[in-house]
Amino acid sequence: MELSILLPFIVNVIIGGLVLGFVYAIIALGYTMVYGVLQLINFAHSEVFITGAVVGFEVFRILQDSAMNGYLKLLIALLAAMAVSGLLNVLIERLAYRPLRGSPRLVPLITAIGVSLILQDTLRFLEGLQGRFDLTYTLPAGFGDKFCAAESTCAPVGNFLRTIGVDVQLKDVILVVVALVSLGALNYVVNRTRLGKAIRAVSQDRVTAGLMGIDSNLMISATFLIGGALGGVSGVLFGLKFGTINAYSGFDPGIIAFTAAVLGGIGSIPGAVLGGLLLGVIQNLIGVTNIFGNLLGLANLGTIDASYSKIGPFIVLVLILIFKPTGLLGKSNVEKV
Amino acid sequence: MTQSTTQPSTQPTTAPTPSQTTPDISGSAMLELGDIHSYYDHIHALKGITLKAYEGEIVALIGGNGAGKTTTLRTISGMMKPRTGTLTYLGEDIAGKPAHKTMQMGMSHVPEGRRIFPQLSVRENLEVGAYTITDRKLIEERVQEGFAYFPRLKERENQLGGTMSGGEQQMLAIARALMVNPRLLLLDEPSMGLSPLFVEAIFDIIVKLNKDHNTTVLLVEQNANMALAIAHRAYVLQTGEMKLSGKASDIAKDESVRKAYLGDE
Ligand SMILES: Nc1ncnc2c1ncn2[C@@H]1O[C@H](COP(=O)(O)OP(=O)(O)OP(=O)(O)O)[C@@H](O)[C@H]1O
Ligand SMILES: [Mg+2]
Repeated sequence: MELSILLPFIVNVIIGGLVLGFVYAIIALGYTMVYGVLQLINFAHSEVFITGAVVGFEVFRILQDSAMNGYLKLLIALLAAMAVSGLLNVLIERLAYRPLRGSPRLVPLITAIGVSLILQDTLRFLEGLQGRFDLTYTLPAGFGDKFCAAESTCAPVGNFLRTIGVDVQLKDVILVVVALVSLGALNYVVNRTRLGKAIRAVSQDRVTAGLMGIDSNLMISATFLIGGALGGVSGVLFGLKFGTINAYSGFDPGIIAFTAAVLGGIGSIPGAVLGGLLLGVIQNLIGVTNIFGNLLGLANLGTIDASYSKIGPFIVLVLILIFKPTGLLGKSNVEKV
Repeated sequence: MTQSTTQPSTQPTTAPTPSQTTPDISGSAMLELGDIHSYYDHIHALKGITLKAYEGEIVALIGGNGAGKTTTLRTISGMMKPRTGTLTYLGEDIAGKPAHKTMQMGMSHVPEGRRIFPQLSVRENLEVGAYTITDRKLIEERVQEGFAYFPRLKERENQLGGTMSGGEQQMLAIARALMVNPRLLLLDEPSMGLSPLFVEAIFDIIVKLNKDHNTTVLLVEQNANMALAIAHRAYVLQTGEMKLSGKASDIAKDESVRKAYLGDE
């Protein structure tokens, strides 16, 4: 294959991987923040996140015939998903994890898996009542178009991207912008506010935080609220990207995002973002290994195609656990939450 | 005893003079423990502790390793619950009240082992110490006051707490506790790990706080000579029981105390 075709192709694969990676990054934040305060892997987070995707679906469905501006619909979907997923996460902690505080670590872990299963089937039941299983997003008009294809003020940007062979849809750009805004907001809350400092203090030393007058239970709830709200955002972004979801769709991206959190160093916020982006790119690259196979004359690799792409993150997980269990940005030199 | 290894012999003579003011100890006490029993699971750590601290007093709590000094402070601040006994602070029953609530009542506790937040900067540690204060200007004033007490902290303002030296962390722990301008200050071995010069500085600060702000101080110290030199009254703990109490100057003269805790042969 000619380099002139291959290069833009790889660039597109990487850009696609980064877009996917932003979704993983936002999901991974939910795992890493909760781990930061409780040293608990909240396996229910994949369902907290997919609940956000379902809420997003419902908002777009209810508003599908409304003449409302598409971005306003998206904003409503995001806020509704944040509220529902955030409160759901708080409720899970309050009802399922708090009573188990102080018991061996395996106990809340298994509880988390149980909560995850309960939520999956509850979501399926609720949508099943209305005769639905697979939920297909009805996106506002234009979201699926090529970025800057039409509008004359913006078209030069779109033309430029096409000239260099980069091909993105409007919804991909929206996804990245929403993700960046979420990351900025989280960074501000965690590093600049009184609440953020208190959450960090609780995650570093809960007992001593109490001596500072900080109610650690309140801060743990706040962490679940923030982590859950981010899960809601990522759910809507996931729906935006993939179009069709169901009650069980949270599992795969959940486990990949968890891997991302471990890769970056569990408990580390920048680590979760880095891990998410890396895994998104790795997954997309592995999905096109057959291209490399042709290029390098390794024809037998040609049988590896996109359906194997999820192997990538798990190979990474195994490698990271063997060679650097603290993760890329883990431990001493990084801010935990 | 082994005290002489950690404590230069010159210290007793250079210790700051005790507070000249004589606190009123006739009325009702600011802090009162009545027959307090505290446990760690099955370990009976406090076996009926009775103790009072009056407003404006410096009260020293001395005793050997494992006597229960730390446990007494933990019980007062709410880090642990006494199993039986009475605990009143400012006229309110605070037995079993969680620490974050008692700390909102004007109490500060410098815990054993400093417990600096390792991943927060020096400034952030101080700001977290001021968590119960919402007025940003006041917080900044207090941070500057802390820097004035310990200029070293100002030099290290943006360094992570966990990377500070042991002595620097001790300074930070004390500065952090002072952020709320406490009415009652619980100090668990504030001189631990400090060089003699800084030990003196710390004791000066305690006396100054007591004089200028009328801060009540409950002081746990291995450095018993110095503690008794600045305290008004003192209690001697032994294996969870209150062995002796009285005026600090009398305790300092007591034969058995001198033998056990003050390094006399
Ligand atoms: N977390 C704990 N779990 C079990 N036992 C404990 C715990 N902390 C203290 N103890 C026990 O309680 C008793 C009192 O301990 P405490 O820490 O109050 O002593 P201390 O007077 O502060 O001693 P030191 O001068 O060595 O600091 C000791 O016998 C100790 O072994
Ligand atoms: Mg102690």
